[in-house]
Amino acid sequence: MSKIECRDLTKVFRLGSSYFQAIRDLSFEVDGGELVAVVGKTGCGKSSALNIILGLEKPTGGKLVIDGKEPYNDFDHFRGKLSAVFQTDRLIPWRTVLRNATYALEILRIPQERRIEKARCWLEKLGLSGFENAYPHELSGGMRQRVGIARAFSIDPDILLCDEAFGHLDEVTAIKLRADFLELVRETKKTSLFITHDIDEAMDLGERVLVLGKPARLLMDIQVPSEIKSSPTRRAELKSRIIKAIESDEPAAQG
Amino acid sequence: MDLEPLPKERALNIEMLISLGALLFSWQVASFFLPEYVLPGLQMVLQEFLKMAQEGTLFWDTLLTLCRIWQGLIGGFLVGALLGVAMGTVKKTENYLIPIVNFIMGIPALAWTLIVILWFRGTETRIFALMLAVSFPVFSHSILDAVKGISKDLMEMTLAFRPTRTQVFRMLIVPSIIPHMLTAWKVTIGFAVRVVIVAELVGASTGVGFRMLQQQSLLNMSGVLAWTMVLVVSGLAMQLLITKMESRLLRWRPSTL
Repeated sequence: MSKIECRDLTKVFRLGSSYFQAIRDLSFEVDGGELVAVVGKTGCGKSSALNIILGLEKPTGGKLVIDGKEPYNDFDHFRGKLSAVFQTDRLIPWRTVLRNATYALEILRIPQERRIEKARCWLEKLGLSGFENAYPHELSGGMRQRVGIARAFSIDPDILLCDEAFGHLDEVTAIKLRADFLELVRETKKTSLFITHDIDEAMDLGERVLVLGKPARLLMDIQVPSEIKSSPTRRAELKSRIIKAIESDEPAAQG
Repeated sequence: MDLEPLPKERALNIEMLISLGALLFSWQVASFFLPEYVLPGLQMVLQEFLKMAQEGTLFWDTLLTLCRIWQGLIGGFLVGALLGVAMGTVKKTENYLIPIVNFIMGIPALAWTLIVILWFRGTETRIFALMLAVSFPVFSHSILDAVKGISKDLMEMTLAFRPTRTQVFRMLIVPSIIPHMLTAWKVTIGFAVRVVIVAELVGASTGVGFRMLQQQSLLNMSGVLAWTMVLVVSGLAMQLLITKMESRLLRWRPSTL
C-alpha cells in the first residue's frame, strides 16, 4: 500500500462573493521512502495541497490518506508524524536558535535534556554549531532556513514536506542547502514531498517528479532517470517535456 | 581594528537637565512677581515636602494611592485579558462581547466615579470598582488585537506538530501578545493616575487626591504643588518600570527597534 494516497482531491475557496478552485481532481501516490518533487506554476494550488496533507485544511472533495488515515479528520493521530519546511523560515522570533530547534520536541513532550541533545545534534548536522544562542533576526536567510530544517528533522517524522523551501534564497546559498538537505533525506530515508516552482530544482531533488496544472491536478508523473546527472542533453530533454506539459495546460487555466 | 567603546546610554542626559533647570529657574523668577497663592517659590514647595515627610503623609498617602492604582489595574488586566483571549480564540465570542465592552468603554471616568459611589460602600471598594471599570475595556481591546495579530504562519507551523490547546496558549499565544500587553499597561497607568485622583478628590479621606483637596481648601498653593509633583513623579516612575520590564522581556527584538 502506498504511504500517501491522494484520490480526486478538490479544494475550492470562497473569495469574497465568488469561488476559486485551487485543486481539481488531483490524484497521485507516494510510496514509503520515496523522494518526490512536485512542480507547477506559482499559484497553482501547491501550497494548498501542502496544507491539506498537513491536515490544516479540509479538502472540499476527494480524499487524502496517509497510512490509511486522513490528516484532517484524524488530526491527533499524526502527532509527531509530519514535519514541514516552509517557504519562509517560520522561526519563532523570541526563541534562540536552540530553542527553535527544540520547539517541535517540546510539543511532543520529550524531556528537556533529551530534546536539547537531539536539537544540538541536528543543528550540528546543518552546520549551525556555535549559533545556538543567536536569535533568528541575527542570522542570514540561509541559516534561518537551516534552523527550520533542523526543527523539521528533529522529531524524526514519518513524512517530510517542503514548500518552496529554498525559493527565497540566493542561488549560491540555495545550491549548497539543497545538497545538504538531499544528503539528510537520503541518510534518514524519509518519505519526502518537495514542492517547488523551479523545474531544475525538481529534477535535482526528486527521484520522481509530479507536474501539476492550474488548478492543481496531475499533468505528468515521471521518473527522473539518473543519467540526467551526467548527460546535459537528457536533462534538457526532460526539462523541455515538463515545460511543454505545463504550457499545454494553459487554456484549461480559464476553467 | 580597535573600535571606540560605545557611549553608555543614560536616563539623564545633559539636554534634559538644561530644560528642567530652565523650567525651575523661570518658576523661581516668576514667583518673585506673583502672589504666594498663585505661584509660591521653590523653597516653599520644598518646605512643604519636608513637612509632609515629617508628618508621614508623603510616604503613606502616596503608597496608598499607588496601591489603589495597582490593585485596580491588576483586576482590570485579569478581566481584560480573559475577555480579550476569549474573544480572540473562541469563534463568535467577539461578536457577543464587543458591543458590551465598547459600551462600558464609552462611559466617562467621571460618570463611573458617581456611579460607584452610589453602588458601593467603602472607599476602597469604590475605587477598586472604578479602576476596574475604566481599565478592563482598554486591556481587553488591546489583547484582542494582539491575539488577532498572531502570525498565521507561526500558528500553522505550530499546529502541524499537533500541540494541545494549553501548549498553543503557552508556547505561542502568550509570548506573542506580551509586547502589546506591556504597551497597554503603559497607556493605562498614565490614565489610571488621573482617574484615581478624581476618585480620591470626590470620595476619600486618604490618598494623594484627598491631600491635594485639603491643601486647596487651606488655600495653600505650595501644598497643592508639592502633591502634584508627587503625582507626576510616581506616574513617570511607574511607566519607567514598565519600560524596564519591556526591555528585559523583549531582549530578542532587533536592537534597532
